[in-house]
Amino acid sequence: MKKFLLLLLSMVIAVVLVACTTGEEAGTETEESDSTNEGTEEGTEGSTEKQSDAAGEKVLYLNNGIGIEPTSFDPSIGFDQASWEPLNNLMEGLTRLDQDSEAGPGVAEKWDVSEDGLTYTFHLREDAKWSNGDPVVAEDFVFAWKHMLDPNTASSAAFLAYFIKGAEEYNSGDGSADEVGVTAVDEKTLEVVLAQPTGFFLDVLTNPAFFPINHKVAEENPDWHAEADTFVGNGPFILESWDHDVEMIFAKNPEYWDADAVKLDKVHFSMINDTNTQYQMFESGDLDVAVIPPEMSDQLIDGENVFIGPYGGLEFYRFNTTMEPFQNKKIRQAFAYAINREDIAEFVVKNGVEPAYGFISPGFTTPTGEDFRDVNGDLVSFDPDLAKQLLQEGMEEEGYDELPPITLTYSTGDLNKAVAETLQDMFIQNLDVEVTLENQEWSVFADAQQNLELQFSRSSFINDYNDPVNFLESFVTDSYMNRTGFSSEEYDELITNGKTETDEEARWEYLSEAEKMLADEMIAIPIRYYNTVVLEADGVSGILRHPVGYFDLKYADKE
Amino acid sequence: MLRYTLKRLLIAFITLWIIISITFLLMISVPGSPFNTDKTSNETVQANLEAHYNLDEPYFIQYVLYLKSIATFDFGPSIKQPNQTVNDLLGRGFPISFELGMITIVVAVISGITLGIFSALKHNGIIDYLAMGFAVLGISIPNFILATLLIQKLAVDYSIFPVATWASPSHMVLPVLALATGPMAIIARLTRSTMLEVLTQDYIKMARAKGLSPWKITIKHALRNALMPVVTIMGTLLAAILTGTFVIEQIFAIPGMGKYFVESINQRDYPVIMGTTVFYSAFLILMLFLVDIVYGLLDPRIKLHKKGGK
Repeated sequence: MKKFLLLLLSMVIAVVLVACTTGEEAGTETEESDSTNEGTEEGTEGSTEKQSDAAGEKVLYLNNGIGIEPTSFDPSIGFDQASWEPLNNLMEGLTRLDQDSEAGPGVAEKWDVSEDGLTYTFHLREDAKWSNGDPVVAEDFVFAWKHMLDPNTASSAAFLAYFIKGAEEYNSGDGSADEVGVTAVDEKTLEVVLAQPTGFFLDVLTNPAFFPINHKVAEENPDWHAEADTFVGNGPFILESWDHDVEMIFAKNPEYWDADAVKLDKVHFSMINDTNTQYQMFESGDLDVAVIPPEMSDQLIDGENVFIGPYGGLEFYRFNTTMEPFQNKKIRQAFAYAINREDIAEFVVKNGVEPAYGFISPGFTTPTGEDFRDVNGDLVSFDPDLAKQLLQEGMEEEGYDELPPITLTYSTGDLNKAVAETLQDMFIQNLDVEVTLENQEWSVFADAQQNLELQFSRSSFINDYNDPVNFLESFVTDSYMNRTGFSSEEYDELITNGKTETDEEARWEYLSEAEKMLADEMIAIPIRYYNTVVLEADGVSGILRHPVGYFDLKYADKE
Repeated sequence: MLRYTLKRLLIAFITLWIIISITFLLMISVPGSPFNTDKTSNETVQANLEAHYNLDEPYFIQYVLYLKSIATFDFGPSIKQPNQTVNDLLGRGFPISFELGMITIVVAVISGITLGIFSALKHNGIIDYLAMGFAVLGISIPNFILATLLIQKLAVDYSIFPVATWASPSHMVLPVLALATGPMAIIARLTRSTMLEVLTQDYIKMARAKGLSPWKITIKHALRNALMPVVTIMGTLLAAILTGTFVIEQIFAIPGMGKYFVESINQRDYPVIMGTTVFYSAFLILMLFLVDIVYGLLDPRIKLHKKGGK
């Protein structure tokens, strides 16, 4: 019997010991990683703001986007918000979005564009330096862009560089790196030759995919971007420490050419991937910036410390024009006019979003200084009578006595479900049509939509660069983003002109025509525009949140 | 004992191979790709990505590549975090999940058994009702609700503990409480019911008749037998809790490995799916093996080598 007691005792001791040893191991790990980044917080223990504030430093506490680990800090690989938001503050491209969200000088101090709009010559700043002290040279851009276009790199962002001559060929394996139209004329001069004139090329260059890579560092260590102690940047901040899946700490970069403009001493990026938790941390003062949990939207949205800004993107529904009954334009239009977007925005999606009566969200400025949305106006409205009439006409055209069954598909998610159910309801009320709802797990859904297996399905679009063509181009014949079966030579031509026309006013005219045509054909129904809604603690100011692009802490301040 | 262990080991390998093969089959039969994105893309980019991760190879080749990577314990880089290998992810996440899990298990076992014993001894008394009422609550309140409640009350309203993250002992209190309550309640109920059964056995009456102290009877004679069902559930419980729990780790922003189980599947991150599956299976097999050994120690009537390899 004593044996048993002994056994029980030893089991308990063993368990406690094991628990303690793992505790110690975890402790040493963090200590090690900290000692490699001299002068960081004293261990992870209690690294709260009290300590840092005591030192009189300005430290901003953020959550990294939705609170996840960046995919990669290799500018060519991290094609998502979680990677590019922090990266946009660690590095800088030739151009950088300024306080008016327009492409202004970055590493390039000035540039010349040839008359035909094909050749860009960038003059790099003499004082642009890497965080290790190396000068930023033209070769760093050549290296980075060819790295992005190398098929073996398998960059998801590579298509953004197809505006450059020879880029698409190299990326698809038909050309070679030498044929890509980017050359270092001398240390501080970079020449870029485009495939076609591209009026918004300077804006495309603000995208993190076009950031330079210190080629000396990268040639020595291809994994330079994986850890904080090997990371070399050229932006307003340096990566002081990176505890994967836990936290990143940025510090002001003294080597940055415009370091005087940078007010923050440090920025903490946490990775709290739970909306409620990050809000509770905001409440308790552990975070300076947070997002509003969906269920608290009604309570918080009108608060004083809420920032609401436009965000270049659209939620919409695609018709599959290869499936009945949506081969018929009038039937497609009928569905579009049967939707009360105002109600969806205000009562279903909430959070201050705007209903979409066109495809291009507000915030795109035409060469004449107007907003593209205002110029093109409302292209669709809520009009149940017109909807019914269009449905009637469409059915007659097709010789339908009753509509073929319609299934509306969305990817699984609370908000998607709420919107889909509202649409279902609106179609019954305003069209007398009953659609069946179906939801699919996201990746399954994406495959089915890509393969044109869905009849009527949800979609979203987020802009990669600041030009309407970014969205409109999706619907050219056989585009990977088309996903509707739509094909029109007239539309394809409008888009080609909308991309390559050198006269900017004429180019925007083509884009305006293209959007109108898209609305007339109604191969997709716009529902609402996206927006940016964040809570900012008192005293936080100067964070630039561009409608298109990634947020910028260069001018951010905290009282 | 050695023969038994070897036999179990062999069976473990076969089991693992079957699990790996089924997982592979499931992975390729589920539609979707790790490169599906709601951002812009095109055919060339997709083709480059597939070639980069060997996903353009025939399934058989992919299967062989997987087996090879598993045999060498090198699952390769994660597709969604290409700078990290699956081994990095598991090596970083597991110690944290293990730490949280171990503390949770210790708390759950000690408090659960104690509650169970007292309820059984004071059967139908006020302590029994209180403890069992508590246990019913513990089983029926999902841990994520308890977690949010604990954070709101103890962290936000009264600022006794930090809201989230995994840094100091005080950060551990809330997640351990949230995670331990469920298993504790189960253990308490199990202990109580088996204790009640055991306490009516003849040998207990015999021990009482001999005049042994109630304390001795409870601990030495009754509890030992009452522990058998608890040990039975410990195998699965240990494997489940020690390898991380998705929801609790997410709520408290604990960088454990729980999220890899769920997210890798949503993201079709094939190497991570394989890595977590193999890891979890191997761990579960090990725990069940340990449980079998503990059986033999608790109850000499169970002879391992006779029924070995069942």
